[in-house]
Amino acid sequence: MVESKHQWKAWLYLLPAIVLLLVFTVYPIFNTVRISLLEEYGAMAEMGLDEGEYFNFGLGNYEKVLQYKDFILCLKNTAILCVATVPISTILALLIAVALNSIKPLQKTLQTIFFLPYVTNSIAIGMVFAAMFNIVDYNAENILNSQSLGIINNVIQFFGGNPISWINQGSSYMANITVMIVYIVWNALPFKILILLGGLQSINKQYYDAAKVDGTPKWRVLTRVTVPLLSPMLAYVIITGFIGGFKEYSSIVGIFGDKMGPAHDPGLLNTMVGFVYDSIEKDRQGLASAAALILFGIILVVTLINNYVIKKRVHY
Amino acid sequence: MSNVINSNSVMQAKDIHMISTGQKVRRILAKTGTYAFLLVMALIVLFPFYWMIISSLKELSEYRQAIPTFWPQKVMWGNYSKAFSQANLGDLFMNTLYVGVVSTILSLVITVLSAFAFARLEFKGKETLFGALLATMMLPGELFTITNYITVSDLGWMHTFTALIVPFLVSVFYIYLLRQNFMQIPNELYLAAKVDGTTDLKYLWKVMIPLALPTLISITILKMMGAWNSYIWPKLVANDAEHQMITNGLRNAFTDVSGQADIPVQMAAVAIVSAPLFMVFLFLRKYIMQGVSRSGIKG
Amino acid sequence: MQRKIIAVLLSVVMLFSICTMAGCRRGQKVDNTVSITGDIDLGDDIIEISFTHTMGAKLQDVLNTHIEEFNKIYPNIKITHQSAGGWSDINGQINTEIAGGNPPNIAYCYPDHVAMYNIAKSVVVLDELINTEYKIKGTDERSGLTAEQKADFIESYYNEGLVYGDNKMYTMPLNKSTEVLYYDKSFFTEHNLQVPTTWDELWAVCEQIKAIDPECYPLGYDAEDNWFITLCEQMETGFTSAEDGGQYLFNNAENKAIVKELREYYQKGYFTTQELYGSYTSNLFVETTDKRCYMCVGSSGGASYQMSNNDTPDGTFAFEVGVAPIPQANKDHKRTISQGPSLCILKGKNTSDKQVYASWLFVKFLCTNIDFQAEFSMASGYMPVLKSVTENENYAAWLARGNGYEYLVAKCVQVGIDGRDDYFVSPAFNGSSTAREQVGAMMLKCLSTDAANDAAVDALIEQAFKDAIEECEY
Repeated sequence: MVESKHQWKAWLYLLPAIVLLLVFTVYPIFNTVRISLLEEYGAMAEMGLDEGEYFNFGLGNYEKVLQYKDFILCLKNTAILCVATVPISTILALLIAVALNSIKPLQKTLQTIFFLPYVTNSIAIGMVFAAMFNIVDYNAENILNSQSLGIINNVIQFFGGNPISWINQGSSYMANITVMIVYIVWNALPFKILILLGGLQSINKQYYDAAKVDGTPKWRVLTRVTVPLLSPMLAYVIITGFIGGFKEYSSIVGIFGDKMGPAHDPGLLNTMVGFVYDSIEKDRQGLASAAALILFGIILVVTLINNYVIKKRVHY
Repeated sequence: MSNVINSNSVMQAKDIHMISTGQKVRRILAKTGTYAFLLVMALIVLFPFYWMIISSLKELSEYRQAIPTFWPQKVMWGNYSKAFSQANLGDLFMNTLYVGVVSTILSLVITVLSAFAFARLEFKGKETLFGALLATMMLPGELFTITNYITVSDLGWMHTFTALIVPFLVSVFYIYLLRQNFMQIPNELYLAAKVDGTTDLKYLWKVMIPLALPTLISITILKMMGAWNSYIWPKLVANDAEHQMITNGLRNAFTDVSGQADIPVQMAAVAIVSAPLFMVFLFLRKYIMQGVSRSGIKG
Repeated sequence: MQRKIIAVLLSVVMLFSICTMAGCRRGQKVDNTVSITGDIDLGDDIIEISFTHTMGAKLQDVLNTHIEEFNKIYPNIKITHQSAGGWSDINGQINTEIAGGNPPNIAYCYPDHVAMYNIAKSVVVLDELINTEYKIKGTDERSGLTAEQKADFIESYYNEGLVYGDNKMYTMPLNKSTEVLYYDKSFFTEHNLQVPTTWDELWAVCEQIKAIDPECYPLGYDAEDNWFITLCEQMETGFTSAEDGGQYLFNNAENKAIVKELREYYQKGYFTTQELYGSYTSNLFVETTDKRCYMCVGSSGGASYQMSNNDTPDGTFAFEVGVAPIPQANKDHKRTISQGPSLCILKGKNTSDKQVYASWLFVKFLCTNIDFQAEFSMASGYMPVLKSVTENENYAAWLARGNGYEYLVAKCVQVGIDGRDDYFVSPAFNGSSTAREQVGAMMLKCLSTDAANDAAVDALIEQAFKDAIEECEY
């Protein structure tokens, strides 16, 4: 790192970003903290306050969040989705990006295909998944008597397996979570491929040439050359993946609808941010803010640990 | 700097290197595996796109069927003409393009400057500041909606393009991304430039930006898509005819009284407005894949 | 780095706690009552009115023509309107706008939404505006409603404005829908089945149908939550009450018995619902070759989805669809749920009195104008809220077509109009939308969870009710 003699220069470069962030991010965060400490706070309720009426100041919202009967469940779902999806999507994206980078014929066509998700409407993505996992008219006694088993079950049958209920009645928590993981990984892939593909271009070709001269096997080149050199981008993809994973919510609504769970157990797949949204909708911003800050605390700790571990392995 | 640029002396090595038959077989197997993997993944990734296209050609009743069809029983090209005639696509497109282009350009400038400061310059509190920025990404943005709405209305920005552009110009997400990319670029280049007496800005322009071009293009694509997909915020601050954005126009035009969407027509509309965007992406893709080699610099 | 971040965060928290305790507050309560002390003077300056709705393109065309009509009477009231998307979109958007002090003047609403807006005291109380005998300055027009205008409203629709537990009027009905029973008339005629008017009759018909076609679901019911709420209302077993800021009354033995009975019928295969089936029940209803249902309870606004298929080469319909009111529990206490848009007038810190008056005049215009009511009904398939709407000749002719195979929408509207004395809406208060959500979830749980024996079923239902009430009261 170079010691700049003119520190003010750095601040000058950062000035536009900092000014805008102060207004549109930092100030709202302060407000969030403030609101979380006002018991029973709601934005509507505040508008309706009489002169001289105030919200009590205290930790009541935090207590209430912790007392929520499904608090642990929400936390557990959030954690599982995070821990499972980030490694899978990162590894897959890495393999695809490296493979895309290494081929000659069809390269352009394939690259184009991997760009198509960017112009695909999110409603369409949700619909595909419904079609893939949804069983129409689930038959509890004999699943094969259901009206339609969904594409995934058809594939399973094709390979001689037994179809199961993924998201409908009679589905297990494991099946539900598996669907969510597949969906989230799928959703995350295009972005990660784009980032890693871009990152690969910045790697010095010399290293590869050197490896070729040595006759190093491809797989070793990947683990010994590509991954270390790509580590800044990988770190980025992993950390932002975790942050996104902690905020997972809309994907669950996409699969299970507003009831956030299979028919026999609505709410089973609710997450922390699901709780936050729900509270905002009910004009309980105090509760929502407290829940978000509790989650924030948890993410912060995890990220710091993550950062600490990754820092030891990232080579700039 | 020059010695770094001309250091590709080992380039021809592979032609000289002798390859045994065993290696050849292994190589062919590896190639086949690579292609098989890519093709399977491509199919998976492509499926939603395919679904969007066939849905845009279905009749509403067919779209609502319990057992989805993989090909429209009756191909409804009419959905496309309906999409064209019902929503004011031309205006919506121009509004979105304007917001997309302006915010992308401004955002790129801010992002490059900030990322450069974080990646190359040394100043007090850098780590802390960067950590704090990252931390801001961890709160769900929906918590900020009301506060920002009030700010924008206090600033008198309601029903202006400014309200659509300015609040989202800075994305820590992209600053972080570009900083990572800048940090991939060997520091020696910067040192050499310093010795040569090159100014920071010149160095940034001549070396860093060309080298980080693939990432900058990625950011451009993501930012443009952001403009295309934004829905809730534009609806709040500028949903009047002069400023309406594409997603708002589309989602609101094709609903019946109960707020139920005519999805096939919506999909057709999305396909229509995404087509030019996709062309731009195809054009930009070239630069993602060739950014470095074209600039002639091999870090 | 960690320590520094924590230090920064803590100092921020401290700073703002101090600020809070000192009482930083931006709430500016608006006065949501209106007092009229003389003829209403609109002046000559342009009064701008914003109107947020969920209308699609077709309905917006109807609206635009009638805004022109309105402007012939009040040239200086300028109405701008925008669609906010669907029903859940509009609620979220207006919540934010109210919290920002800047709501639209007029909004499409459901009672649950209004209950939310009422927390901010932003919804204008309409009583004074309705009842005032003062005129609009310079005209002979009464600014309130005349006795004839009031009497022309279908009473149950009009009373929807009063469900907020404080005897004040907050909304005016615009156009309404309800749940109706669609049935395969051809099938019913062929097998000599009676269209059920009570639930007992319905279950008997289900048994008969099941004997004819063992594979079928005799009945498809779209919305579990509506079903439960309707049954509570019909049997007077209690759902919620808006008294004292809202109470949840549904956790009682009678309701558990209702759900248990439904569960038995579900286990027998007598019915399915949208969630349980995994797709729209209307698909089962219009199906002709695969598994199907012969009766379907759904929104009268969704009639076009219940149309039987006429894709045959000669264009004939697969079967005739009949429409009937939903079954009742007690013929002396007929109750049917009412849905569909009402209008409320909102007030923010910058809303002037003139804007409130102008908004009221526009709301009054839309709700009492026979032509608008008729055209809106024809374009949407919703029911007009005025009794005299059939005075519009086009509309009368349109309604008259409503039998046979083709004009199902008109047929449906006619059934809706005939049932006008039976409508109810559930009480609305802060938390009423949660109650609706929770009973929907409770129904799903009770119907679809496996249970080994009778005791297990009781335990399951007990638990589901307990969970629902706990969520409501959280």
